[in-house]
Amino acid sequence: MERWALVSGLRGDLDLYEQIQSDLQKRRGTAHLFVLGDMIGPHPKCDALLKRLRQPKRGDLHPHCIYGWLEEQLLSLYGYRGEAKADELQLQSDDSGVQQLRQAVDTEHLNWLASLQFGLIELDCGLIHGSSADVGDELQETTSPLILLDRLTRLDVNRLFTARSGRQFRLQLTGGQIRSRVKDHASEQLHEQPVPKRSVIGVGSGANYTLYDPASDHIEFLSVASRSGASNRIKGFQR
Amino acid sequence: MTMSHAVISCLHANLAACEAVLADIDQQGIDTITCLGDLVGYGPQPNEVIELVRERSIPTCQGCWDEDIIDGLNACECSYPSQLAERRGHRAHHWAAERITEDNKVFLASLPMTLRRDRLLFVHGSPNSQHEYLLPDMSAFAALERVETAGAETLFCGHTHQPYVRELSEGSIRVSVQTNGNHSDSEQEMTLPMRRIVNAGSVGEPRHGSTKATYVVHDDDSGAVSVREVEYDVSKTCRAIVEAGLPEVFAWRLSHGFEYAERAEDASHVCER
Repeated sequence: MERWALVSGLRGDLDLYEQIQSDLQKRRGTAHLFVLGDMIGPHPKCDALLKRLRQPKRGDLHPHCIYGWLEEQLLSLYGYRGEAKADELQLQSDDSGVQQLRQAVDTEHLNWLASLQFGLIELDCGLIHGSSADVGDELQETTSPLILLDRLTRLDVNRLFTARSGRQFRLQLTGGQIRSRVKDHASEQLHEQPVPKRSVIGVGSGANYTLYDPASDHIEFLSVASRSGASNRIKGFQR
Repeated sequence: MTMSHAVISCLHANLAACEAVLADIDQQGIDTITCLGDLVGYGPQPNEVIELVRERSIPTCQGCWDEDIIDGLNACECSYPSQLAERRGHRAHHWAAERITEDNKVFLASLPMTLRRDRLLFVHGSPNSQHEYLLPDMSAFAALERVETAGAETLFCGHTHQPYVRELSEGSIRVSVQTNGNHSDSEQEMTLPMRRIVNAGSVGEPRHGSTKATYVVHDDDSGAVSVREVEYDVSKTCRAIVEAGLPEVFAWRLSHGFEYAERAEDASHVCER
């Protein structure tokens, strides 16, 4: 079985995407590339990146894209989701940040962005930008294990790959239990439930990405040297 | 003298059941009542039930049917096991929406999603949504997460129409964490707090295997919870359902008191539409 590459937070940076593609070509045995959202950002090459993702160059590892928090915000701005405004981005950024995001993405891409899925299930793994609770859910290694277990349970997967926090980590649930006593009008039941052996994996963001081997369950956290950080200098787009 | 308070839910426009339950509460000398919503839907007396709750000034949170009357049908077909059941549900919704007075609609719209008293939290479905079912057999960890994330010790809910008290205790989770640049895994253990979920069942449309209306009484001093069952004139409400032109299956179900025909296939599904 061949490995998966998990990428997120390109934020319109075509050069960075090309670096990752080039890095993957050097590392043989990677068959699938998953881009877990935040492809767009206020970057001069955002439009070119979207074109490349939609129409990969010969030799590119074909990307499977899902939408992320920034796509959700942009689609909200254009009225694809709710009321034609992006409150969360407005809070984190300002008017100029919102405007720059709008200007960076040609409207010809909106239908494609709106057609992307919220998440993917591959084998027993969930691939998602935030979590099944919310695209903006920032899961990290310090998040309460109770919340992480809940997010795994909601998707009913053994491994949850998440990108929103930008962190690279693997948190494995290794043991524990809980006692449940249910009393209704007719009976009383006592039940002990063990913690299932499941994991949450933060795939990183931008220049930090992750390789996963489903056959061996091996995780490798990788980085490419980012040549540009244009989008990361704008308020609300740091990660 | 101990302080007790009653929690009622899912009244579903069944006036006879509501009057019987309130009389039972009065008879016990309990003067604090909290209502977990779904004042309307299924039953034939939506305005009468809303007005009864308003007259008694019962603190009430908004149920899924109350929300739908205000916001329109917005839940996806996941709420129904079949197209037939969905059509019946929509028929009942439109019937109620046409008859509920504007004044009563304003009241339904004003209801909060949650009510809180110290560490007691009151919701219709779950703290996340009026449409989420907290079933007694859902993952104990997921159930605990709902209570803990909401910052409560005891969570009162309804929506399933089946009363129960669930205690979650002696929990712990062990984890191993690996981060980028740190090659040795760190081990941690989290001790989980004890929490409770109390489902008040349903006053107006019981589905727990009996036709009796149910509610719960919470002893504020000891924390003890008891489930009460109250008999009422079921046939009176069944006749009114049929006479009102509502789907007869609602009367049939009321006269049997168990889940039939309306149960969602995936009750844990949270509709996000």
